[in-house]
Amino acid sequence: MIQTKAHVVKRESERGHVILTLKAAALAMRLGPGQPILVRPGPGLDPYLPRTFHPLSIQDDLLSIRIPPDADRGHAWLRARSVGETLDCLGPVGRGFRIAAQARRLLCLGEGEWAWTLLSLVEKAVAQGVAVTLAVEATSATRAIPAQRLPLAVEYRLATVDGSRGRRGRISTLLPELLSWADAVAAAGTMAFYQTLAAAIEEQRLLLRHGYAQALYPSTFFCGVGACQTCARDVAGGRRRVCLRGPVFDLADIV
Amino acid sequence: MLDLAPNNKRGLVLHSPIMVGSGGAGNGDCWPSGLTPDMFAAVVTHPVTLRPRRGSEPPRLAELPAGFLLNTGDHNPGFRRLLDQHRTQWRRLGVPLIISLAEGAPGDRAWMAERLEEEPVVAGIELPVREDVNLGELSAAIAAVRRVTTLPLLVKLPSTRAAHLAKACVVAGADALVIGGPPPAVYPASGQALLEGVLGGPIALPFTLRALEKVAALALDAALIASGGIQRRQDVALCLNMGATAVQVRSLLWTDPAAARALAQWGQDPIE
Ligand code: FES
Repeated sequence: MIQTKAHVVKRESERGHVILTLKAAALAMRLGPGQPILVRPGPGLDPYLPRTFHPLSIQDDLLSIRIPPDADRGHAWLRARSVGETLDCLGPVGRGFRIAAQARRLLCLGEGEWAWTLLSLVEKAVAQGVAVTLAVEATSATRAIPAQRLPLAVEYRLATVDGSRGRRGRISTLLPELLSWADAVAAAGTMAFYQTLAAAIEEQRLLLRHGYAQALYPSTFFCGVGACQTCARDVAGGRRRVCLRGPVFDLADIV
Repeated sequence: MLDLAPNNKRGLVLHSPIMVGSGGAGNGDCWPSGLTPDMFAAVVTHPVTLRPRRGSEPPRLAELPAGFLLNTGDHNPGFRRLLDQHRTQWRRLGVPLIISLAEGAPGDRAWMAERLEEEPVVAGIELPVREDVNLGELSAAIAAVRRVTTLPLLVKLPSTRAAHLAKACVVAGADALVIGGPPPAVYPASGQALLEGVLGGPIALPFTLRALEKVAALALDAALIASGGIQRRQDVALCLNMGATAVQVRSLLWTDPAAARALAQWGQDPIE
């Protein structure tokens, strides 16, 4: 992990979210898909806790973060940053997604806002020549990842709860078909989503074996180095600090 | 050089007044970006109990204005495992290591303290004291530890009751007093149920200062170490001027390691 100043080089708004593109060569170089960064949410001591972001894209010396339009004071301060300003960042935190050398067909599964955390993995996998399907469950079309954000080579499947685009309902209805295609899975969502996914994999492949599916543990971080103990959860056969053992785990270790 | 335990044959000599407070660097094994043990005067571990503790269920953290509430429930691997896992790495720390012994069953802390006598890598013991402790019970607990160890003994007093408890601790054998454990409080954790924990971050400083002022006025024969909410150079200066010999920093290491590094250079700057 390093601490660095990141320069805001681009600011976009997207349905209330603000996407900041940051120039931070040393951080971008170390960062991989699924590894969060911690950003100070103000110039002083209040708000005090860093905010956790999973970069949407990591390219050369650039990375981008997406700040939600919520009531959080730290997020509000970050949304108000403009080009030319700097942010104090720490990262990367923990272990991210790995693309196994033998993976040929990668299924990326995202639930709601968590789906956005898969974008940098999608980009990396496509760049490595892996066939990628991104399947996303969103409450409505307006909350889903716009298709133009994805590399052309990606197959994009969408399920919307209100039926405004793609398959109506939950993503679980798509899983049998998608799982029969994939030789590797990477997921980002809630623990309930992971339970559903694990059950679908067991149905399809009889067993949820280690090495088939990875999942991003839904957590925010304080220190990111194992000191504060706030991220300890029951994973991988014991109570462990997610920032050290994860935040990306084998799915079999967290369900 | 500073000595936190001048009346103790072993002494506890520090090269600067800036210590890492309990768990700030985990058990001396979790160093944030750009920080190394030798930058600090001493390192205090997380509180350890005789047997492993799973700690509190999540959430363990709630954000407050200018700080946070933390409740880890003394999550730790247990005394034996802590020593077995960390002994080798502790030998390379290069600065005094202080083991924090959490309260457990009666007699546990004395038992652990006695074992620590045989650990050459350990330079001192810190005993955190809970807020609702009874004075007689506290004196007896400190005296029990004092009887079995020659190691310098730091007693970490709750800031809200530090002045009331301080003298009894020194009489019972404390070499130094850590002022203090921030007060417990309750706050909602990110829209969820109320979390009960202790204050941390800048919000804790006024509690530390109040307790420090009152304990310093007692002029006890023990070094005072300020702990809780210390973030900036002016916070350190204030604590030292108010009678502290040293200070402990913790969450600053997590939120701004560069600022912690600058603070750790205290004394190397001609201004001080
Ligand atoms: S975030 Fe501090 S231990 Fe994981």
